[in-house]
Amino acid sequence: MTEDYGPLLPLSPAALHILLSLAGEDRHGYGIMQEVARQSDGQYKLGPGTLYDNLQKLMTQGLVDSSPKPPAHDDPRRRYYRLSGFGRGVLSAEIERLEGVVREARIHLRAPRRAT
Amino acid sequence: MRLCYRCLLWLHPPMFRREFSNEMLWIYDQAARTEGAMSLFFDGVGSLTRQWVLRSRWWKIALALSLAVLQIVLGGFSAVIFGHRHLEAPARDPSVVNMAEFAHYGAIAHQPLTVGIVMYLAVFFTGGLTIMVIGLAFWMRHCARRVR
Repeated sequence: MTEDYGPLLPLSPAALHILLSLAGEDRHGYGIMQEVARQSDGQYKLGPGTLYDNLQKLMTQGLVDSSPKPPAHDDPRRRYYRLSGFGRGVLSAEIERLEGVVREARIHLRAPRRAT
Repeated sequence: MRLCYRCLLWLHPPMFRREFSNEMLWIYDQAARTEGAMSLFFDGVGSLTRQWVLRSRWWKIALALSLAVLQIVLGGFSAVIFGHRHLEAPARDPSVVNMAEFAHYGAIAHQPLTVGIVMYLAVFFTGGLTIMVIGLAFWMRHCARRVR
């Protein structure tokens, strides 16, 4: 059965970056912030307020889950987050949508516009 | 600055605060030097605004209450302003004011606070508040149905 991701798209830049950072492995909040900065070469930085505001929304929508237990040696205040199956589907649909946008942009920008 | 940030976290809605404030404070401790305490603080202000305005529904109740209070204040002001104007008209010479002249003007602002006036205000307040709460309840149900 295919799920309909349409109502959740397009994702906001913050949500997209958070989901992308969780696509590889489970991370805690600070880890997500660092991964987002790394992925965007420091051009997009999330503060903790923006991060948790979006994480709360993504968890309510069922795109992100809280990981069951952090490693034993870790700080107890850290909580780990992971991408759910539904979240992975939404992220894939968003990437597909963005690929379409990029394809269109390339077609229109290939030839320089002539003045009439 | 850390204390200010803690206060800011404390001002967030209780549900959000219980779930994320410890983690946010931990990140603040880790990132304050590299990211700058001020930028983290302003990010927190943004999150506070979003949480109360977009995510929480309490603001609608607060809005209803403040509109009801505004209604009362405006009602009181108009009674003071229009009542005063009515009173000034006949008093050409203040030294020979006949108080009987004022009897039929009956400006609320210049009457002593009677049970009748208190009841009038209470009915005004309760009626306004009820209408607003019912209206907001319908609006919220409508919005919830649209989100679903």
